[in-house]
Amino acid sequence: MREATSARVAHILREHGFDAYVIHGGLRAWTKGGYPLEPVPSDDMVLLPTFN
Amino acid sequence: MRDIVALLEHHGYAVLALIVFLEAVGVPVPAALALIAAGAASAGHHLRPELVLVSALSAMLLGDSLLFILGRQSGWALLGFLCRIALNPESCILRSAESFYRRGRTTLLFAKFIPGINSLAPPLAGSMRMGIGQFLRLDFVGACFYTFAYAGFGYLFSGVLVAITRQVQAVGRAVEWLLVVAFIGYVAYRAYLYWRHRKYRVVPRVQVQELASRLSSGEAGGMTVADVRSHGYYDPGATRIKGSIRLEPNNLLATVKDWPHDQQIYLYCT
Repeated sequence: MREATSARVAHILREHGFDAYVIHGGLRAWTKGGYPLEPVPSDDMVLLPTFN
Repeated sequence: MRDIVALLEHHGYAVLALIVFLEAVGVPVPAALALIAAGAASAGHHLRPELVLVSALSAMLLGDSLLFILGRQSGWALLGFLCRIALNPESCILRSAESFYRRGRTTLLFAKFIPGINSLAPPLAGSMRMGIGQFLRLDFVGACFYTFAYAGFGYLFSGVLVAITRQVQAVGRAVEWLLVVAFIGYVAYRAYLYWRHRKYRVVPRVQVQELASRLSSGEAGGMTVADVRSHGYYDPGATRIKGSIRLEPNNLLATVKDWPHDQQIYLYCT
């Protein structure tokens, strides 16, 4: 299912009284529409283990 | 089995190499059966055993190397794609990566015997930056285990295999039923996913044009755009919607406990 994670998180937030919405089409639709993007900051990056 | 043996007798090593290569790159073809048949054909002097081994091993290493390079080039996108069907996609990538990191070297030796893992191990090794030399050494040993096990079985038990092929009609009937059960299982799984996600369909959606318009019209003060993607944060060079923040789904309620309830929160994933 598309938007599965965002829909699930939005549902939980709404259950807790937040005014949450899902952006239809997600990042793909945003990028396709030519709207502004930014690099993910290094502090937010999650480091996965590597062999080297 | 008889068909595969006949095919191998007529077209030889190229057919064996093609079947093994296709399985190595993830196509569900019966390479183990082809190796057993090639082993049986070698015992019957229809094929030369050393050429059976060389063609099978070359094809397997070629297919595995292609997936290894694909994993290295695509970073975590491949694992992210596979984790989309997991029950918890957010933690799937991290768990899979850590598990492979702990057991990756051993996994490469025996992965070919495990359906589903056989095609996943080489790209994972690539994603996790295993050295090409180390990968080729481990993969070669794993490919030797696999090839010798099945071709050797066919070679040693070629007489028994002839008797087995007489039972193929009965086995074929069982396989047909197995396919029917598998199809029903797949439909049931899709129905379960539809049922599981039904409550999420009532969550309101907003189009990107509408959101961009709201953000640029000065309403942004009471708005938060949050990124809940799982794999977007593992690849260097990843991008996100400008001005958005990361919202970790596994730590959701702890993160938002101090957030004001009068703001609008817009969520997105891939």
